[in-house]
Amino acid sequence: MAEVAGILELTGLTRRFGGVTALDDLSFTVASGRVTGFLGPNGAGKTTTMRAIFGLTELDHGHVGWNGGAVGPRQRRRFGYMPEERGLYPGMIVGEQLQYLGRLHGMAPGAAADAATRWLERLDLADRASSKVSSLSHGNQQRVQLAAALMHEPELLVLDEPMAGLDPTGIETFGAVLTEQAHAGRCVLFSSHQLDLVEELCEAVVIIDHGRVVASGQVEELEIGGSPRLSVRVEGDRDGRWARDLPGIQVSEVKGGQVRLVLPPDADSDAVLDAARRTGRVLEFTFERRRLSEVFREAVR
Amino acid sequence: MKDFFYAIAAAAVLLLVVRRRRSGRQPPGRMTVRRLASSLGGFHLAGDTGLVAQREVRERLRGRFFKVITLILLGVVAAAIIIPTLHSSTRPVVKIGVAGILTPAQDRAVTAALAHIDLRGQLIVQPDLASARTALRAGQLTMVIDHGRALMVETPVSSSSTTTASAAIAIAEALGSESAFRAAGLTATQASAVAHAEPLPILSQAPRQKGASRGTAVIGLIFIFILLTQYLTWTLVGVMEEKVSRVVEVLLATVRPVQLLAGKVLGIGLVALLQAGLVVAFALILADAVGSDILHGTAPIVVVASLVWLVLAYAFYSWVFAAAGAMAERQDQAQSLSLPLSVPIIVGYVLALVNAGPGPTSLLVKIFAYLPPTAPFAMPLLVAKGEVAWWGFCIAALVSVVSTAVVARFAGTVYQRAVLQTGRRLRVREVLSRQ
Repeated sequence: MAEVAGILELTGLTRRFGGVTALDDLSFTVASGRVTGFLGPNGAGKTTTMRAIFGLTELDHGHVGWNGGAVGPRQRRRFGYMPEERGLYPGMIVGEQLQYLGRLHGMAPGAAADAATRWLERLDLADRASSKVSSLSHGNQQRVQLAAALMHEPELLVLDEPMAGLDPTGIETFGAVLTEQAHAGRCVLFSSHQLDLVEELCEAVVIIDHGRVVASGQVEELEIGGSPRLSVRVEGDRDGRWARDLPGIQVSEVKGGQVRLVLPPDADSDAVLDAARRTGRVLEFTFERRRLSEVFREAVR
Repeated sequence: MKDFFYAIAAAAVLLLVVRRRRSGRQPPGRMTVRRLASSLGGFHLAGDTGLVAQREVRERLRGRFFKVITLILLGVVAAAIIIPTLHSSTRPVVKIGVAGILTPAQDRAVTAALAHIDLRGQLIVQPDLASARTALRAGQLTMVIDHGRALMVETPVSSSSTTTASAAIAIAEALGSESAFRAAGLTATQASAVAHAEPLPILSQAPRQKGASRGTAVIGLIFIFILLTQYLTWTLVGVMEEKVSRVVEVLLATVRPVQLLAGKVLGIGLVALLQAGLVVAFALILADAVGSDILHGTAPIVVVASLVWLVLAYAFYSWVFAAAGAMAERQDQAQSLSLPLSVPIIVGYVLALVNAGPGPTSLLVKIFAYLPPTAPFAMPLLVAKGEVAWWGFCIAALVSVVSTAVVARFAGTVYQRAVLQTGRRLRVREVLSRQ
């Protein structure tokens, strides 16, 4: 792993819009060198948090810190931001737009031109450098937006729903770029509702609900924690009805004949196996970790 | 003056050529507008505000709207300058039949007399007086000179308002004087000196009526109005588009709102100044080339005053229009916000135009000349009519600059609070009272 660039510290962030509390004493940290997923249901406060990092929303309380110091305009020049509502000049030429945004982050003209070329090649858009942004597809505009956030090699990269609406190839490219950035020692925070994707890309997650952190930590630790999961498949059974009446057992998911059960700590797994056998021939009976989607559901319940 | 403008034009061309050679990448050929935009957009202003301004200049110069408006303005200015001179160069021709022989001195006297009243004479020698009369009756001749002793016309010369009457009176007087000079025994030089005697100047205690300056002022007023409304609309719509496209969120993540706002205002202002300068330089060069009276008397001072007030007007209004743009999310919202802001512009413009005639200037215009919203129209008019002292002009400019600073501060607060709020139209009171 490359040298750690820094650590983002959010402390006691509070933001109220009239009678609505968007952020309620929200605190967490984001470490460098890994991709951190930022999760939460709609309206949980993810976008407000990200905007607060860039000073785009006024806070009622709390502060945003970077490496132990307060974040100001000088620090933000070294941050990269990709907002949820894509922000590009539709009538501007792609290459020039990237250079312009790079220069606003303090890059020299030559360095900005080189970085624009490099990122457009990396994101398979080299042939569209002279096109207007408005002539690109939605997915390609998203690639340009990612390039804009990366132009100046930011120490902190904050991306709000970066992969929403992308095709599988785009998701793969974005995922690879984010992982590369983290491995290069940068601090990467991104929000998404695609939990499988987050599980695949992120080493750590922060889950918020109603403006407060409800779960956070390493993905692996979060998955190990909580009640154990039992995956059972019974020949001829499609709906898992046999498991619904088992005392203390909760059906987490039924998918394609596979029943996923949440066992309390003192649960008798033999009783579960007996119930399954009474239904038919048992094809699968496996103890598993919690999935990130289950961690999420349980956290925001 | 002529040499000065040619020197500026030559320097600009040289600068563009040097830039093009230095870049070394552009193929030879004509300088396209895009390349011109790149060249002009490549000027350097320090800091983020400069970068924002530079982008504005480059993108605006590339836009079709700028090119079309510039061409229209150049066309209108060319027409306004050339048409009056065309009128004066196509002087009506008076066909004069000559029975008998005119001496060279008489010939010169007739030509000079007609030129003095903007007419041109065509002398047609007739075989005899009878033929000349027949031609006059048939309408082939306007008048006949009978052996240098008398002048014949078809109808009596009772009114001096017609071309024929004016020509007849002028020729009659000229030939009469020439005959008298000859009878008095004056030499040709003496006769010429007497004939071309300059009348004494007539001095009036009332201010001089400055026809040429007033004409220049009217063109200047129209010019300020068109450019001001065009560039203020650009500012308003530009800010609104940045808000709607959410690019403002990306920009404000690294640039402070005041820098972004100042860069936009400065960039569009520079484009306005460039366009105004281009049109004025074109007008002055053209006027000099065709001999228009736009350069006569105090007209150049009026041109400079108009340019100064265009800059001051843009500086004053641009902040307010930018703040209005930050509060809108749709075209109709932008229009309804800009309408009340445009009222003082329209009032000042119309009032100045109404008072541009030779009559006395109303007291209201004189008051408006010191109020920043209306001064850009009233003050150049007072300059054109010679009704303001230099210190009055300076006081009005100072009041405008100070007011602009106050307005910019207020507008900056509105912009900062409104530009990131989306989803609905905001009201000023709501923005200002926001906790």
